[in-house]
Amino acid sequence: MVTHRAHHLFGTYSEGRDQPRPPSILIGRLNLSSEIPDVCCGIAPDVSAVHQSDWDGIMERDNHQEGEAQGVKICDPPSESNPLAHTLATSLSLLGNHMFPDQVERNDSGTANKEETVDSFISDITAEEPSLDAESHSNQVTKLDTEETENPECQNIASTQPTDGGTEDAADNDQSDSGEFVVTMLAKAKLEEQGLGVKGRSSPLLEAGTQECPAFITHREEDVTADSWRQHRKHVFVLSEAGKPIYSRYGSEEALSSTMGVMMALVSFVQSGDNIIRSVYSEEHTVVFLQKGPLVLVCVSSSRQSEQQLRGELLYVYYQIISMLTQASISRIFEHKKNYDLRRLLAGSEKILDGLLNLVDSDPSFLLAAVHCLPIASSLRDSLSQILQKAITPNLVFSILIAKNQLLTIVQEKNVIEDSRLEPADVHLLLNLIGASSAFQAGEIWTPICLPLFNPDCYFYAYISYLDPPECTVCLLLLSTDKEAFYAVAECKRKIEEAMVAQNSLSLIAKAHSYSVSQVGVSDLRHFMYKPFDVPDNYRQLTQFTSPEMEAPYSSEEEKMRLLDLYRYMHSRIHSTSRPLKLIYHVAERETLLAWVTSKFELYTCFSPLVTKACAITAITKLLRWIKKEEDRLFIRYPPKYSTTPNPSKSSRSGKSDQQDSTDNGFLSLL
Amino acid sequence: MPESSKMKKPDVKVVLLGDMNVGKTSLLHRYTEKKFKDTISTVGGAFFLKQWGPYNISIWDTAGREQFHGLGSMYCRGAAAVILTYDVTNWQSLAELEERFLSLTDTANLDCIYAVVGNKADLTDPKAQRPQETDVVSEDRTECEEDQTEPQVTSACPTPPASPASLSGLMLHQQVTHEDAVAFYGRILRYKGLDENNSLPAEKMCFETSAKTGYNVNTLFETLFDLVLPSILRKRNENQESPTVDLEECRGATGKRSRSACC
Repeated sequence: MVTHRAHHLFGTYSEGRDQPRPPSILIGRLNLSSEIPDVCCGIAPDVSAVHQSDWDGIMERDNHQEGEAQGVKICDPPSESNPLAHTLATSLSLLGNHMFPDQVERNDSGTANKEETVDSFISDITAEEPSLDAESHSNQVTKLDTEETENPECQNIASTQPTDGGTEDAADNDQSDSGEFVVTMLAKAKLEEQGLGVKGRSSPLLEAGTQECPAFITHREEDVTADSWRQHRKHVFVLSEAGKPIYSRYGSEEALSSTMGVMMALVSFVQSGDNIIRSVYSEEHTVVFLQKGPLVLVCVSSSRQSEQQLRGELLYVYYQIISMLTQASISRIFEHKKNYDLRRLLAGSEKILDGLLNLVDSDPSFLLAAVHCLPIASSLRDSLSQILQKAITPNLVFSILIAKNQLLTIVQEKNVIEDSRLEPADVHLLLNLIGASSAFQAGEIWTPICLPLFNPDCYFYAYISYLDPPECTVCLLLLSTDKEAFYAVAECKRKIEEAMVAQNSLSLIAKAHSYSVSQVGVSDLRHFMYKPFDVPDNYRQLTQFTSPEMEAPYSSEEEKMRLLDLYRYMHSRIHSTSRPLKLIYHVAERETLLAWVTSKFELYTCFSPLVTKACAITAITKLLRWIKKEEDRLFIRYPPKYSTTPNPSKSSRSGKSDQQDSTDNGFLSLL
Repeated sequence: MPESSKMKKPDVKVVLLGDMNVGKTSLLHRYTEKKFKDTISTVGGAFFLKQWGPYNISIWDTAGREQFHGLGSMYCRGAAAVILTYDVTNWQSLAELEERFLSLTDTANLDCIYAVVGNKADLTDPKAQRPQETDVVSEDRTECEEDQTEPQVTSACPTPPASPASLSGLMLHQQVTHEDAVAFYGRILRYKGLDENNSLPAEKMCFETSAKTGYNVNTLFETLFDLVLPSILRKRNENQESPTVDLEECRGATGKRSRSACC
């Protein structure tokens, strides 16, 4: 658990400091709060208005991880910059950090956004739901308490300072060594890139590159030395432990082989000290490392997302690779041959990974780790489930019906579900696979796929077919454990198709669409995301969330992305490892957001900017009531099951009773 | 097409094999949809039914990626025809056919026929560059869909995925000649232990096609379908005599391939 901060790498970094610091990478978890007097959240800069900063500023200092990641541009006249730091910055730009602006605006005028705790609201909640506080960690309670106090400043500082100071001292010892190492490594890579050829570990990479047939996707041909390449919001690289490039989101892997070599050098250097590199922070970029078996995944992001979120996204990339190759076969391959070029097996799958990363950026289901299902009348959902339930064949384990990339219903084999449940991440991978394999929609696809969270070492065989060609919006996905079962499974599809024709289901599905937030009937509410947690009674259920269409003012792609970024920010605050929160009321530049997490649900709401705190609270109460009323339509309540493997002991026990099991889902039982 | 063939039972199985990016999916897409589309890499295999006069022909479009190699023998089981596809601009793609794909055909029918197809001919052969409005079409069996007007082929889809050089309009060096393909066909027959004199001649079974312009694509599929017809007829006769009861027929549902065809 080491966090590397390259924050210092870019010369001086805070006001009032005349002497630039030598570049360094710090090992250990540092709290740099005392050194950054003006850290503020940069999500929605509104420099003119500084309200409520008393509490917020402190909060940010305490929450330095986010604070730094979202780093304020800190002024420093270019002439003053330390030459060593400059070289290093140029070299680090190999890692995608093109961030040494010629002129940086001084932005010390203060915090950029207005944010406040909802003191009164918190007390409301505690009154409404006593269990909330009882369940929370003791430190959380104390934090909530400090937020409530009128003058939390001194308390927070008092509580955080002493412990952090100790860590920093310890880490300072390592600074010079590691800093020099990084300089050497990066300079070396730079030389290589310029063709000066430092012979070393990267030569096999280049060799591998020449054998490869030319890359064919336009953004793979991107010039990796161009500024436009560096300015991509989020880079993702996958490499093997031997430093061989496996995947790069932008630019060809061959062209990036020396950059990836540097990444591997960083990883192994820290590893040699019995440590694990987790992240490198710079002013504008966050570099997150994730090591999974023989694979190393690296994300270089300027999206201001938290480290945990970025690591979660890298994990999705890893899972997607596993879903194509299985963990067992990847381990086997690399055990057998350490410098294997995994692209041999993944060739052609780049688009699946590209598609996944685009989805991760644009679809909040990845952030929430929950599945979005299409709202339809519960009677229709039940009838569809029954159709799926009847069309079975031996070894069929999951039948999934999807419309418009959202889940309609899912039916599972009974014995399978008793052992394990389908994780949202696996469903996301399946949905991405469907999106990626839609090239030839008239056909029926039969492909092996591994569900990494279900079992990372085994394949399922997925049958994918669209039920409404040529529109291709309704997709049937059947998963079997039998490689040879194609014809039997295709037969199930015919049965499903016939039954759906008989019940006119397709036209009913075609009418289904996501709902508008106006249906909730709360005027100031613009958008929300609601994710109920399942309760012990129903813990086998798939985690779902519901969310209305993004409507004006979030109709353009940029605005959608902006709202998602705000949600990501709220999410990172709620789930911050150093200081998790239960509730945030965030006044941003163009909207007001409120996020609230309880033991029963997680809720993110977006209001018009002029809403008052009291209004927002009333609105949320109304919203929760509305969701409670509509939950049969919004969620898959009782996923039905079937039995395809004859097992008398089990089938006699449960029968159809699973479906009738009317345990309360726990949706809003607090209301 | 799916509507018309949905309820029909496939009579014969044709499998497309070949290395990644040689254009198997594009070939099939050109034949069934009459257009060239920038497809993405196939996952696993895709199954299509083609109506050919009174017969239903199932076509398996397989993934060329090594990752899906394990499924190859399943796709080939009971195949009446195998289309081995290579890329005329890529010598390796022909070598891969011999190294990786030929062994997959072990599970095909004993009387399976083999076609060797060099795709992307438009990149090396000027005569394959002209959009092919209508290929040589044998009128008696074709459906009306054969006569659909050609959609704007070249403008909509600039290039087959693996050939960025064609963007510049340059002629690529042809790495695999027709003679290489003929020689490979000879080796297939030897691998299968077939007598060259009793088998279909190499000249007839080696094609050069372009999925992008449509050059030779219809000829390829129609020649094959004509050749596998005897196989269909023989199978039908066998089935009539066969004591096996087809359970699927009783229920009026179809689509399941009769097991008797499998080895």
